[in-house]
Amino acid sequence: MTDDDAELVALIDNELDDKAKTALVARLATDERLRQRYEELRETGPPLAASFDALLGEAPVDRLRAALPALNTVRQPSWRLRGIALRELAAGVLIGLLAAGAAVWGASTFGLFDNNDDWRSAVADYTELYTNETFTPLNPDAALQAAELSAVGAKVGAALTPENVALPGLRFTTAFMLAYDGHPLAVMAYVDPSGAPVLFCILANQAPDAALRSERRGDLSLAWWKRDGRSHLIIGRLSEERAVALARLVEGRV
Amino acid sequence: MSEASRREVRAALEPSLARLWRYALVLSRARDKADDLVQATCVRAMERADQFLPGTRVDRWLFAILRSIWLNEIRSQRIREGGGFVDAEEALTTDGAREIEMNITASAVLRAIDRLPEAQRETLLLVYAEGYSYAEAAATLGVPIGTIMSRLAAGRAALARLK
Repeated sequence: MTDDDAELVALIDNELDDKAKTALVARLATDERLRQRYEELRETGPPLAASFDALLGEAPVDRLRAALPALNTVRQPSWRLRGIALRELAAGVLIGLLAAGAAVWGASTFGLFDNNDDWRSAVADYTELYTNETFTPLNPDAALQAAELSAVGAKVGAALTPENVALPGLRFTTAFMLAYDGHPLAVMAYVDPSGAPVLFCILANQAPDAALRSERRGDLSLAWWKRDGRSHLIIGRLSEERAVALARLVEGRV
Repeated sequence: MSEASRREVRAALEPSLARLWRYALVLSRARDKADDLVQATCVRAMERADQFLPGTRVDRWLFAILRSIWLNEIRSQRIREGGGFVDAEEALTTDGAREIEMNITASAVLRAIDRLPEAQRETLLLVYAEGYSYAEAAATLGVPIGTIMSRLAAGRAALARLK
């Protein structure tokens, strides 16, 4: 790099002010070495642009795009909901929460992206907010758990019991109601031995039947199916294979 | 939250993915970090969509978010953890077969860019790939225009040596 390079490059890029440009052009007219250097630097422009263009083709656009739908519902109401739910649950007044409907989070917040599967994005978004500490402290007695399951099951038209929602290797902690796009959404929360949350969700949205499918979204695995007018979803920080295995298990029971 | 802002930001994300990833790769020199950086940028953009001013350039706003996450969260974390930077053999690569001008390949040019300091790589990208003016680059990077000039000159001088 020579002392003149910065000005020469600025001249090439048409970024010199008039005074500096006039002075440099005058020097170029009389200085063969400076002209040669100008030419060397000028020739690097097109390869630079072309090489950066080539790099665009390396971008894993499909993978990045696949992660985008989960953004649809990143917004504050889910935080608010989480705060309410946990406080109320900790106080052992889940029935009060159910009466309130927890519907603060629902149709109005999802108007932009309402299609059949965006509820999974919504669930994925608030699942991202859960940590290993979220559900671990919850340890309601069996009678309360059964009452919760019965109550949320009734909201989505499914008979839920501690037995038919039990999942191997996971501790069931609590069940609660949310709403998505005006449809009731039952959520069963589990923790694995490390405390990592796994959710089993049932949305009563009158969706047509669909076979079990699965996907990864960030560090979350999702497995879902639709039957009897309900959409079901297993979601958590676990392998996709495990999510599918859990889904198959519960699919046969609920 | 402004619905117009949210719509505009959301609509801009997908068409910007490749360019955001390229910027992230040029900064981080690690493809996994670039993926993470783009995803974090998209999440942050949606969270802060109400801060975007409709009518201004949303792609530039996304770039600023990406840069902020890189500087304040990812890079600083790596330094705190004592990891420094991964000295990848070839972080910036392409298929290599594509011959461009000067009888050199895009791969050779990218290797040369790869060896430059982060500040020079970033400045070259913003000006020559993203079309920032010197003044825009200076404002974005928080440095004087003279610094932009010297970074670009150093980068192009390195490429001139490839010939």
